[in-house]
Amino acid sequence: MIRFQDFSFRYPAGGSQQPAEFALKDINLEIRDGEFVGITGTSGAGKSTLTYSVSGLVPHHFAGDFYGSVEVNGMDTVEVHPEQLAKFVGQVFQDIDSQMVSSIAEDEILFGMENFQVPRDEITRRLETVLEMLGIASLRRRQISSLSGGQKQKVAIASILALQPDIILLDEPTGELDPESTIMIYEILRRLNQEFHKTVIVVEQKIMVLCAYVSRLIVLDKGQVMFDAPARRITDEIELFQSLGINVPRVVELGQMLKKAGLYAGEIPTELDGAEKMVREVCADAAV
Amino acid sequence: MNLLQYLPGNSVLHRLNPVTKLAAAFLVGICAIVSHSVVFTISLIILLLGICTACGLGKRALRLTRSLLVLGGMMFVFQLFFVRSGDPLLSAGGFTFVTRDGLSSAVLLGLRIVATMLPLMLLFAITEMNDLCGALVKRLHVPYRYAFIVTTAFRFVPLFTSEFHDIEDAQKARGVEYDGGIIKKLKLSVPLFVPLMMSSLKKVDAGAMSAQLRGFNLRTVSSGYREYPFTAADIGCILFSLLLVGAAAVL
Repeated sequence: MIRFQDFSFRYPAGGSQQPAEFALKDINLEIRDGEFVGITGTSGAGKSTLTYSVSGLVPHHFAGDFYGSVEVNGMDTVEVHPEQLAKFVGQVFQDIDSQMVSSIAEDEILFGMENFQVPRDEITRRLETVLEMLGIASLRRRQISSLSGGQKQKVAIASILALQPDIILLDEPTGELDPESTIMIYEILRRLNQEFHKTVIVVEQKIMVLCAYVSRLIVLDKGQVMFDAPARRITDEIELFQSLGINVPRVVELGQMLKKAGLYAGEIPTELDGAEKMVREVCADAAV
Repeated sequence: MNLLQYLPGNSVLHRLNPVTKLAAAFLVGICAIVSHSVVFTISLIILLLGICTACGLGKRALRLTRSLLVLGGMMFVFQLFFVRSGDPLLSAGGFTFVTRDGLSSAVLLGLRIVATMLPLMLLFAITEMNDLCGALVKRLHVPYRYAFIVTTAFRFVPLFTSEFHDIEDAQKARGVEYDGGIIKKLKLSVPLFVPLMMSSLKKVDAGAMSAQLRGFNLRTVSSGYREYPFTAADIGCILFSLLLVGAAAVL
């Protein structure tokens, strides 16, 4: 359970500049265990800062003006060190290359478990499990620098999963991936959420993917929460999304256009299957 | 081609304990420094090359020797002209260019360079950096922090190189011309290094965060998963290296 209460955060101003704008402002959010949350927004909206606030990097690594409180599993993030929180929260960062600490895939996964003093046979077991779960057993002894973006991403996720956190934070995990690998990563996240009851919080620009996978969508703009609802409710707020400069899925746009033209009166779909149904309906009406 | 790059393999040398390899490389280096015999030093180099060839590393060893010979050659030339004692061997117009002592010490120095550097460079060819550091932490109780710094530095070199080329390409694309003399190149490298520094610092910071969130500061000596046992081959290798040192001291 993650609880933001009247939370605001501002990075320090560099040099003699005016104090920076608040990166996050008046955030009141509650994320329950087992949720699959997507966070989106334009760049500079505060998405990454929000993930840092959950893992405790704000305020322990990034100092600044911190107002209100952030609680993770009942612990105040100001009072506990990120390393204590790391037992519950795992974070995969945006820059996939610089978050690696080893040159071999297997060592990367071992790193966290070694640090947290996981017993030897338990390490062996977990290593096998995560390698198998992410389908990267064949990459075990490979040099990380020789892996593709999708493979690296899987290694990064595996290294976090091996620590068995309750909450997994991912910052644009598919930023450098092709559509196929993107779907693959999200299928893994869905499995973690549904089978292993992990809370998954993912920052993502690809709104179509979010609509297809997450149960709850949060839209940030200039540090504030503008939208917080199940992803399918996006159809109620199309204008809001467009005014924030966030693309809505093309199928939603299509539905909106058909509706405006008076050709369709049903519910606007957010995924492809629904869109197909909608188009068939419109075509059938036109044929009559 | 990177002379320090790891060459994967499964030879006897590869399978030695990293600590043994490090110790042996140092001992062989000491041999070369201790010995005053040109014949011994040459035999030592030949022996090293022989062992490497037997372990399938012949090509790499020859390549290393060749590049080290260039360095050794330079030292040879310097030494040749700087040592002024001994009988003159080559004089012209009342000025002595080369003396007997100069020649013998120059030959020895050139060979020493090869014989001391070759085992160290081979060490990197047959040992993965992670294994070397892991073994140093586990076996010699070197603080993990230092071992981590070394492995990270090695890991970052190719990252920085590619970053450097990216920035260079970006500037070339905007019309910066990099051909020209050394002074021009140096001047142009300033606007290259600033973005490189910025992006490197960012990368290092991200790495630090990621290590921190995976319990870096909680690590102790016993944390390492891999074991680095000493085997009979390790003992044999150390004994043989010690024998070489003894021989070097006597000969």
